[in-house]
Amino acid sequence: MTPLGRSMPPALPSHRTGPRGYLFAAAVVGAATLGGMAAAQHASLADEAMLYSLAILVAAHAGRGPGLIAAALSVVAFDFVFVEPRYTLAVADTRFLFTFLVMFAVGAAIGTLTVRLRRAEAASRQRERDTAMLLAFTRDAAAVPDIAGVTAAVVEHLRAGLDLEAQGVLVPATGPIEVNLGRLSITNEQRRLVEAVARQATIAVEKLRLASTAREAELRATTEELRNALLSAVSHDLRTPLAVITGMATTLRETADVAARDGLDTIVAESARLSRILENLLTVTKVEAGAKPRREWVPIEEVVGTALRRVDDALEGRRVDVDIADDALAHVDPVLGELLLVNLLDNAAKHTPAGTPIELGARREGPSAILEVRDRGPGIPAGSERLVFERFFRAASGTAAGVGLGLAVCRGIAGAHGGTIEAVAREGGGTIFRVTLPDGEPMPTFDEPPAMTGEAGP
Amino acid sequence: MTDLVLVIEDEVAMRRFLSAALSSHGFKVIEAGTIAAALAVATESRPAAILLDLGLPDGDGLELLRKLREWSTTPVIVLSARDREDDKVQALDAGADDYLTKPFGVSELLARIRVALRHARGQTVTEDPVLAIGPIRIDQARHEVTIGETLVHLTPIEFRLLAFLARHAGKVLTHRQLLHEVWGPRSTQHTQYLRVHMAALRKKLESDPARPRWLTTEPGVGYRLRDE
Repeated sequence: MTPLGRSMPPALPSHRTGPRGYLFAAAVVGAATLGGMAAAQHASLADEAMLYSLAILVAAHAGRGPGLIAAALSVVAFDFVFVEPRYTLAVADTRFLFTFLVMFAVGAAIGTLTVRLRRAEAASRQRERDTAMLLAFTRDAAAVPDIAGVTAAVVEHLRAGLDLEAQGVLVPATGPIEVNLGRLSITNEQRRLVEAVARQATIAVEKLRLASTAREAELRATTEELRNALLSAVSHDLRTPLAVITGMATTLRETADVAARDGLDTIVAESARLSRILENLLTVTKVEAGAKPRREWVPIEEVVGTALRRVDDALEGRRVDVDIADDALAHVDPVLGELLLVNLLDNAAKHTPAGTPIELGARREGPSAILEVRDRGPGIPAGSERLVFERFFRAASGTAAGVGLGLAVCRGIAGAHGGTIEAVAREGGGTIFRVTLPDGEPMPTFDEPPAMTGEAGP
Repeated sequence: MTDLVLVIEDEVAMRRFLSAALSSHGFKVIEAGTIAAALAVATESRPAAILLDLGLPDGDGLELLRKLREWSTTPVIVLSARDREDDKVQALDAGADDYLTKPFGVSELLARIRVALRHARGQTVTEDPVLAIGPIRIDQARHEVTIGETLVHLTPIEFRLLAFLARHAGKVLTHRQLLHEVWGPRSTQHTQYLRVHMAALRKKLESDPARPRWLTTEPGVGYRLRDE
């Protein structure tokens, strides 16, 4: 920690205010006296007095003290050398006492004015330096490429311009920058300057942050665009052959004999499965890339209805018992919600013995919708309850086909809604897959919307 | 009388399937692989129905649809992928009559075309005030709905919803179309009201509302009152 050099406002150079200033004052008065004596033949007393005024003016340059001393010495010297009786301090004519008084007053006034002038001059020079320092700092801070550059510029300019050693520069995530000066005592003037530097630094940091946010957004947009282009290309290239296979198989089936019909049915069913895997893959990619679900208030029954229609074939005639409490609503993306249930039902159908019951339940608990798919299958081995939701996890004992994407998709969709999914052992055997979907906004009241037009029914 | 169907599809294999399926069911088929060709063929041959793949390489299928709708009411069925709900909704709101999600089977394809042709022809027929969909009878003059012999009590909104769906039986209706019809042009954003009223309607008309037989949901698109 460097001790502070200056404790006064910008002031006169210090070497003149010491004893040398007073010696200077005495010398000047002495010189004036000698000069006055030399010119005594040709000069009046008033001229001598003027000569001392000049001396006081010169001495006042050394400061207020020397100025006053010069005034006092001048009075004494004038009295001693030039006023009758000469070479005594006695005064014959008392009018000279008034002259002395005026001389001293003039001297003091000149000294004070001079000092004030010099101070103003010094202050203006200091201001000029401060402005130059701030300007230089602003220029440097605008040119650096990063926040570390700004803090380095703060330290450097405080040292070079103000002779202050900053202990640290704190750059908070938002709000103004703080400069830590340790325990340095600084003047108000310096405080003002340090604050100005900090303000400029804050502006520089904000500019840098804005620029970097813009760059990141641009990068993200480009990445997103690339991924979407890739996804839609893959999706189109795989889906078109699938559509052709399905279409052709169903066309052939119309005229096929019974034996061929079975084969064609398998082709159609497998194409549908492939299509669902493709949909899962695309969805999990989208969701994991941070795509926001389009949440709406939907009666759960509606989502269940579309899901059941889609898994009808995969269920192969197995019954699903549905219980939905009190017309429960969920704040969910209807398309993703359907896919979530499709995968849970598909999973239950694949991993439980034919003929065992599957139940689908839904209810509300506080500000969340709860969806459950319950089975009476062999259950999940202890310790694997979380693993089943990992991508490409497959039950070791399972004979059912699948790449293990279905439950990962479920977890992804639940997560995208800020929700969770868990697998818990069911009392009496089997598994409960429970999805909790917290509402993304308060549930609206379902009063009539405004502006119902035309006549109503009876 | 054989109906002419224009197939606008860039994938040769897909065109082959659509041609084979339609020809074997008594339709005449004319193909176009690009938007430019499609517009020329549509003007020249006046098809009875158009199948339009939304993912054409030489431009926007939607653009073609808008151009077509400037002078033609020919039913248009768009073909699209499952995760393209926005495209479907846009196409339907721009005047498409229905859509098919790839992959689809031949029976689905024929059902859509039949419904579209029936509605296109129905425009000239005087409207019967009583609509019958399976066991559901909707008397538009008396504002009465019966299932079999049982009178079903519907709220005015439910009745308007059902009557609108029934007038377009078999055809998909988007959320926007339904909201516009029932609540008016300024309410087309209030999808949640529509969903709640549809749920109420199902409860009154379906024997198992979680497995609707008639009032089916088209996820992300709208609703359809099935008529077969």
